[in-house]
Amino acid sequence: MTGIEGPFWRAVAVFRVASLGYAAVLLIRAGGYAHPVTGWLVIGVMALWTAGTIFAYSVEELRGRPLLAADMLVTVGCLLATPMAQGVYQEGSLPITGTWMGGAVLAWGVYGGRRLGAVAALIVSLADLWLHGVPGGGFETLPINGTVLLFLAGTVVGHVARLAKKAEERMERAIELEVAGRERERLARGIHDSVLQVLALVQRRGQEIGGEAAELGRLAGEQEAALRELVRLRPEAPAAGTADLCALLHRYGSATVTVSAPATPLILPAATAAEMAAAVGAALDNVARHCGVRAPAWVFAESDDGLVTVTVRDEGPGMAPGRLEEAAADGRLGVAQSIRGRVADLGGTVSVISAPGRGTEIEMSVPTG
Amino acid sequence: MRVMVVDDHPMWRDGVARDLAEAGYEVVAAVGEGRQAVRVAAAVRPELVVLDLRLPDLPGVEVARRLAAAEPPPRVLVLSASGEQEDVLEAIKAGASGYLLKSASKEEFLDAVRRTAGGDAVFTPGLAGLVLGEYRRLAARSAPEATPRLTERETEVLRLVAKGLSYKQIAERLVLAHRTVQNHVQNTLNKLQLHNRVELARYAIEQGLDES
Repeated sequence: MTGIEGPFWRAVAVFRVASLGYAAVLLIRAGGYAHPVTGWLVIGVMALWTAGTIFAYSVEELRGRPLLAADMLVTVGCLLATPMAQGVYQEGSLPITGTWMGGAVLAWGVYGGRRLGAVAALIVSLADLWLHGVPGGGFETLPINGTVLLFLAGTVVGHVARLAKKAEERMERAIELEVAGRERERLARGIHDSVLQVLALVQRRGQEIGGEAAELGRLAGEQEAALRELVRLRPEAPAAGTADLCALLHRYGSATVTVSAPATPLILPAATAAEMAAAVGAALDNVARHCGVRAPAWVFAESDDGLVTVTVRDEGPGMAPGRLEEAAADGRLGVAQSIRGRVADLGGTVSVISAPGRGTEIEMSVPTG
Repeated sequence: MRVMVVDDHPMWRDGVARDLAEAGYEVVAAVGEGRQAVRVAAAVRPELVVLDLRLPDLPGVEVARRLAAAEPPPRVLVLSASGEQEDVLEAIKAGASGYLLKSASKEEFLDAVRRTAGGDAVFTPGLAGLVLGEYRRLAARSAPEATPRLTERETEVLRLVAKGLSYKQIAERLVLAHRTVQNHVQNTLNKLQLHNRVELARYAIEQGLDES
């Protein structure tokens, strides 16, 4: 038996044993009721069932609806055997099961929460009330104390058991996350202290030596940038349905692409953040196509007055003013146009600043709300 | 110019020290640990410290803070393989006047050292983005009277730095003197560091009042 459920089942077992003893004491005190043999027979069944359930509920595979149903059947059966043992119903006396019938209600509550607990209380109460009603008493004479107590026990225990289970699940998740985070941090530290340093060194020395070494250095530099981004420690994940645009943009960082952003996350609705990141990706592809794969590019993200703005800049050949409009008029949709459409769908705006020989700057803004 | 190198990676430490010596700087110390760095700095009084943020015993940010407490404080150039943005921003706020990634070339590095030695702030595009973000974060907080603000021109210059333009390109685009661009960048850093010192002092006073 593991986890938080174990103590609950053990408590139910203790309750069953104690209330079994109580039922036996009641039987002895009453001098065996009208039919002592039947009475002790019922107590015997209760004792066997108590032992059986203590075992069965302790095994996780056995816990389930069939066991709960059997538990309820035996309990109600013993309860309904009361007239056979006690004879004519005595005003104010407990049924032969005593408080033992509460065991099944608690079991239902622990297993299925407060609703199932309430259902179990209802079943047992109906049986109990029917017993009292058999001699033909009216509603005003029905003893409803027991019913109220059964309902309270079923719902409260069910509720608490459910809360405890949820708390335990949350705790387990938190521990898993923490372990994963710590492992990641350990790896990051190791990589920072060794691999990144060496890659950066190879890149630097390679450039100085030149020739083939420069090419090796360049490759080392690319790996250094990729690895640095991979092990960058991120702040905790943003709330569900939102995403940190900074984190998405930093993935574009490389030996040629420089990403500048605030240290604090830029939180956007997840879909907006993904679309913006895709638009930036398209702009960077465009830079690679028009200016060459080794051409440097800069991505700059900022947030001001409810607007998140991302600028992608290159120092390529640039364009003459009006070229975008010409392309659009010819029915050719340039990349800038497709970016414009994407961002417009998000309720944002795009401006393109470019001149021949002066590079190109694509600035995209979307509202944060 | 007396320079100290703080880096826990021996190959880097030696390489950086050699580059500096070849370029004519006097390397007075090269150490691999934070506490040692603070101690040695007090003894050899370097004018410039090249500081790695990732050290085994003390966070580089803390080293920068302690170095800044010296009188006169050395200029600090952060040279780090770390992409940890919070750390970089904290080191800058604590008094470092420049930041360079280790992947920078030797020429870029020596240029950054020269500028730091000359009292200028060395801003990479990444650092400009961080500083601009920090000003906006401060402006979005509740206490506006104590918040440092950028002028429109400073914001404009910082944005251009973040977009990867060199000071020369910025000067051309905004029709300013190169020196003026440099001053604007320097001002953004000074205001942030001043604000940080005031905040620290206020925090210390509040803590002191609470204890008494």
